[in-house]
Amino acid sequence: MSTSVIDAGGHAVAPTLPDVLPEPKRRGRVMGFIYRHPTIALGGSVLGLMVLIAIFAPFLATVDPTALAPAKRTRPPSDLYWFGTDMLGRDVYSRVIYGSRVSLTVGFSVAALASILGTTLGLVAGFTRWLDAIVMRVMDGLMSIPGILLAIALMALTRASMKNVIIAIAVAEFPRVCRLVRGVVLSLREQPYVEAAIASGTRIPVIIWRHILPNTLAPLMVQATFICASAMIGEATLSFLGAGTPPIIPSWGNIMAEGRALWQVKPYIVFFPAIFLCLTVLAVNMLGDGLRDALDPRLAKRL
Amino acid sequence: MRRRDFLRTTTGAATLLAAPRIGRAADSKVLRFVPQANLANLDPIWTTQYVVRNGSLLIWDTLYGVNSKLEPQPQMVEAHEVTADFKTWTFRLRPGLKFHDNEPVLARDAVASITRWMPRDNSMGVNIKKQLDALEAVDDRTFRFRFKTPYPKLLFALGKSSTPCLFIMPERIAATDPFKQISDYVGSGPMRFNKDEWVPGSGAVFERFAGYQPRAEKASWLAGGKRMNFDRIEWKILPDAATASGALQNGEVDWWETPIPDLVPLLKKTPGVVVDIADPLGNIGSFRINHLHPPFNDVRARRAVQIALNQEDYMRAVVGDDETLWKKLPGFFTPDTPLYTEQGGEPLKGPRKYDMAKQLLAEAGYKNEPIILLVATDVAITKAQGDVSADLLKQIGMNVQYTALDWGTVGQRRASKEPPDKGGWHIFHTWHAGADCISPAPYTALDASGDTAWFGWPKSDAVQAKIAEWYLASDLAAEKKIIGDLNQAAMEDVVYIPTGFFRFYQAWRKNLSGIVDAPFPVFWDVSKT
Amino acid sequence: MLAYFIRRVLATIPVVLMVALFVFSLLYISPGDPAAIIAGDQASPEDVERIRASLGLDRPFLVRFFEWLWHVMHGDLGTSIFTNLPVSHMIAQRIEPTVSLMTLTLILSLSVAIPMGVIAAWKHGTLIDRLVMMVAVFGYSTPVFVVGYLLAYLFALQLDWLPVQGFTSITEGLVPFLRNLILPAVALGLIYMALLARITRATMLDVLSQDYVRTAKAKGVAQKGILFVHALKNAAVPIVTIVGIGFATLIGGAVVTESVFAIPGLGRLTVDAILRRDYPVIQGVVLLFSFTYVLVNLAVDLLYTVFDPRIRY
Repeated sequence: MSTSVIDAGGHAVAPTLPDVLPEPKRRGRVMGFIYRHPTIALGGSVLGLMVLIAIFAPFLATVDPTALAPAKRTRPPSDLYWFGTDMLGRDVYSRVIYGSRVSLTVGFSVAALASILGTTLGLVAGFTRWLDAIVMRVMDGLMSIPGILLAIALMALTRASMKNVIIAIAVAEFPRVCRLVRGVVLSLREQPYVEAAIASGTRIPVIIWRHILPNTLAPLMVQATFICASAMIGEATLSFLGAGTPPIIPSWGNIMAEGRALWQVKPYIVFFPAIFLCLTVLAVNMLGDGLRDALDPRLAKRL
Repeated sequence: MRRRDFLRTTTGAATLLAAPRIGRAADSKVLRFVPQANLANLDPIWTTQYVVRNGSLLIWDTLYGVNSKLEPQPQMVEAHEVTADFKTWTFRLRPGLKFHDNEPVLARDAVASITRWMPRDNSMGVNIKKQLDALEAVDDRTFRFRFKTPYPKLLFALGKSSTPCLFIMPERIAATDPFKQISDYVGSGPMRFNKDEWVPGSGAVFERFAGYQPRAEKASWLAGGKRMNFDRIEWKILPDAATASGALQNGEVDWWETPIPDLVPLLKKTPGVVVDIADPLGNIGSFRINHLHPPFNDVRARRAVQIALNQEDYMRAVVGDDETLWKKLPGFFTPDTPLYTEQGGEPLKGPRKYDMAKQLLAEAGYKNEPIILLVATDVAITKAQGDVSADLLKQIGMNVQYTALDWGTVGQRRASKEPPDKGGWHIFHTWHAGADCISPAPYTALDASGDTAWFGWPKSDAVQAKIAEWYLASDLAAEKKIIGDLNQAAMEDVVYIPTGFFRFYQAWRKNLSGIVDAPFPVFWDVSKT
Repeated sequence: MLAYFIRRVLATIPVVLMVALFVFSLLYISPGDPAAIIAGDQASPEDVERIRASLGLDRPFLVRFFEWLWHVMHGDLGTSIFTNLPVSHMIAQRIEPTVSLMTLTLILSLSVAIPMGVIAAWKHGTLIDRLVMMVAVFGYSTPVFVVGYLLAYLFALQLDWLPVQGFTSITEGLVPFLRNLILPAVALGLIYMALLARITRATMLDVLSQDYVRTAKAKGVAQKGILFVHALKNAAVPIVTIVGIGFATLIGGAVVTESVFAIPGLGRLTVDAILRRDYPVIQGVVLLFSFTYVLVNLAVDLLYTVFDPRIRY
């Protein structure tokens, strides 16, 4: 006899049992959420912590992160300099705290910029057949150049600044978003309800707003978190290769880049920003994973 | 290049990659050296990078060569005659000199090489060309200079180590336009360049030329007999300092030209590695100011920076905590050389005067305009100086715009005479080899002729007068007096601000012997056990 | 199907052309002057101008672009501004190390990631699953150079098992080749491994819940047999997709790895060329990358037909 019961979410659940058995454990709303989505909880809280650090940096830092003191260069961690000092005598701890601002800003901005650019172009490509071919060729062209090299080339066009780093990395990342959105648009366009909407004279912007965008939101959010993580690592890589944010604004990437030659003798200059970067990127990736699992269980099993 | 050539080079390269490297005979005959930078090309006249000159010293020989006292000694020349008025110089080449293709070195090769070198050497060659009446090969081994006006310092020009050096190339190669690159590296020196094994950016190979005839005397820098104890010298380009350090510690390379100062304590502790000062003549850091545009066109603004600048900060930032590596420099000339002087250097001595600086700035009419500070962040020395300057200018109340660029872009932008807000600049940093700052002769950065001067275009009649006087000085005592006054004038007019005098170490494996300290790596008389 | 591929190849030519144009126009407007670098510190502005003229850098953009295109179609990629060597020669020298590194990385990652993903899928929902996935994500979250330095420190300097830097061609022996490349391949492979483990697990989960697998289980086919025969074959398609997509990510990591371990590969060549404005080299390399991208995509599509007979063009 069939005993499978399907609930609203499409999961098979066991049939209700007689009262002989004790009540199942009731968890509070928050605890329930954490239990069901541990990755979102963990990732989100670590990320939240980093954001708080970034916001309250002026209160958390002990000294001005750009204050030079060459007489006190490369001192190991001590009570005065919790993470030690770098090659110019600047306090590594304060720089790392302030560095969170740059790295997080780069991450979030690139994710936002790439999403907006990619979505716009993806919508355009999906709806206009003749533009589709051109846009897709351009996207192919951009994707064929490895992202980091494209970013370096774009940085070479102009002077180093956080704004330019954001634009450079965003340009390297947005083609994938464009492809994603275009794919969604193309598949949705064939749906009967969309065809009906078009047939009944609904204007395109309304269709986009009402039918297309809600369906792109989920995969877009997931993609955006991964772009954020990738952008933070990208900023570190650009700094390593000498094309990143100018050192006058500390970022985890350029603290590591400046200290990399010394990592054998003064490992703390690379070690501390590396830990922070690693934790943050880990948190963002976990958040992305969790979001993906939560928003679309089918997606969890695919990509 | 035709398709055939394209295919040929690719298959050629592929087969070379596939061919097993011939088992190196006894490792003691192979030297693995890590140079200061990438060897991107090998035309020492066309490009004036130090690393190219260092490689060229192996491949080509020179007519004269300076010894460790910077006195020019005959190298390829056997004897010379000069008239009492210093207007006619006749040189005779040594017998038996050969190029790598076994052709003899003739006077007309020398003439062609000198002709190619003159227009590119802004410190002396250009003036030689201007003052020259005729330069000709008299016979196969003799050539003659005839000057319109006396030129007493010709031997130094022929043997100096500052770039571009006068390397002697075969006539057909030296006939190349000095503004175009040569592609044939047949040379006159003790080693041959192996073009087939050259991977630019990664490595270069030099092989001993059996037909080289070293002089009898002991070698000293560019003078004397260049006796090579290696059959093969491999240059390995390792731009990542941590990797280079690891390679030296592990014995994967034998000699590292420029270990970064912070890694030196680690290398000193490593058994099997020796560390010592690379070049006693060291380097002079430069805070280069643009004299054409406000606020620094007013000498008071320049003096403001001068009295606030702390050389100790700059030196620590560039070479670290080891105080044997740097000295404060209240002057423009290299310490421990005959013409060194501190006359007029008071502004750079003593406690720094921030308040007076702010006052001077106000007097000069500075109204908080942004100061464009060009910083090449990909070169450690300029980056360190740039960071310190940004802090310094902030302290005296200036509105600094830290412009982070790469060395190539700085090189381009500093040539612009436009106002700073239209693509120009206010300040950039660089450094000069101490060997180039021993006297006004090789010292292009000291020239204060205004429009035709080096980047920054300082203009000081007092300085120019003193330089002219020095060229005509009769003896060392007279020279010293003139240089003292010159130093003072340059300080008063703030031609540029020296940020200090610093030296670097070099490091090598214990089994190497014969390494000397010099402004460039000297490979002759070095051997490996 | 042949017609499909011919159409694909023809369609990609405009891509490549477009990329070339894009890169060329970028460089043309970029500041930074190779002539100034070449001329050196002591040169006068006139010297720099003369060098620039002799390099042909003062001619208009379109003239230079079409001249370059014309030469490319005759197989001539031009000559490097700095080294005066043919660009094709410089690229040919550097291909082997990069290809060796990427291949070894791929092999290593696949051999670690696939078992990881399989185990995670098999023990779905348990601690092992979560742990495996955490390790995978870690690989994705650390900058490559940090891992590279750590590995070099541990295995080369402390334990002295492996060399710190360099590259030995496989033609000189398998052991020296592996000794030089194993650390860089591991450093680089962590990223790939993370991606591949993830996707393997996801597809395996998908496949394992399918009806025909349950049928096979019910019929009594050994568990391992099910996993490795049925499931992996189906997982192959997405895995191959990831390999193709991850290729571009890998090159980014390869650039850093080549720097840290001093491997004379294409990554470092390109970065140096960009920073110095060695235009012919940049153009040549970018062209190579575009062709590779197109080829990799085509190869991936081809592989699809092998793994999934349902896919036909």
